[in-house]
Amino acid sequence: MLEMRPMDLRTVNLSAMNPRQRSLLLAMFAALALAASVLCVFDPATSGIFPPCPVRYLTGWYCPGCGSLRAIHQLLHGHLQAAWAMNPLTVVLLPFLSYGLISSALFEIRGRGLPEPFLRAVWIRALCAAIILFGIVRNLPLHPFDLLAPGAMLHF
Amino acid sequence: MFCSQCGANNADTAAVCVQCGRTLQAGTPATPLQVNGTVVPPTAAVPNYLVFAILATVFCCLPAGVPAIVYAAQVNGKLQMGDVAGAQAASNNAKLWCMISAGLGLGVVALYMILIMFGILNGISNH
Repeated sequence: MLEMRPMDLRTVNLSAMNPRQRSLLLAMFAALALAASVLCVFDPATSGIFPPCPVRYLTGWYCPGCGSLRAIHQLLHGHLQAAWAMNPLTVVLLPFLSYGLISSALFEIRGRGLPEPFLRAVWIRALCAAIILFGIVRNLPLHPFDLLAPGAMLHF
Repeated sequence: MFCSQCGANNADTAAVCVQCGRTLQAGTPATPLQVNGTVVPPTAAVPNYLVFAILATVFCCLPAGVPAIVYAAQVNGKLQMGDVAGAQAASNNAKLWCMISAGLGLGVVALYMILIMFGILNGISNH
């Protein structure tokens, strides 16, 4: 999936992929489907089967991704508001990330992904800064910011 | 230089259009871009692994994901300036940091599972 190979755009398809790449891709899809179904059945907020965030565990701070498993669990049940309360960043990024993942998978299968805009470097750096800033701000004990901590908006 | 596809104004040395991503430096559109002698599809001139870098940063491990995003930005920055070789080097680094991040993430999950197994075994042996 992370490999760029020389190819003729017209001739690449699933049967032309080498067996190792093909099984790797299928294994990744299977793992993703399994993870999604486990995440759908068990709520990370109440179940102990999911590993804690290492950043939170070691430092006591929320990382930008803290609450994302709980958010995806709520999204899989159609609760957009509860998902937003757990991690708004995840809710915002997830559609774009899904599109990008599907595009990479299609690139592997047929040698051509979905149409993607070219992002200027400055926008990618801004995104990186926004993610880090979100991680800092949701740890601040000041009122409007503490709502960004996982689940805080549920008690608002 | 103006893009032949969308008309956006780009730097004269740009390898891809900053607006639509079309390859600019390959001369005519019929000639594909070449990196290290291999033909590269015009729409995916040099992969920046941005999706995986963001996944790594938000869902996996922040310290290894941030360098991946920074290198992803560098890939597109160098493509804008027409430095295809530099973009390819940055692309390799972005991929490397995605791999490191994935390795660390899987390591933590494996460690957690081992600890849970020990916890269960401990609970059984105490009964």
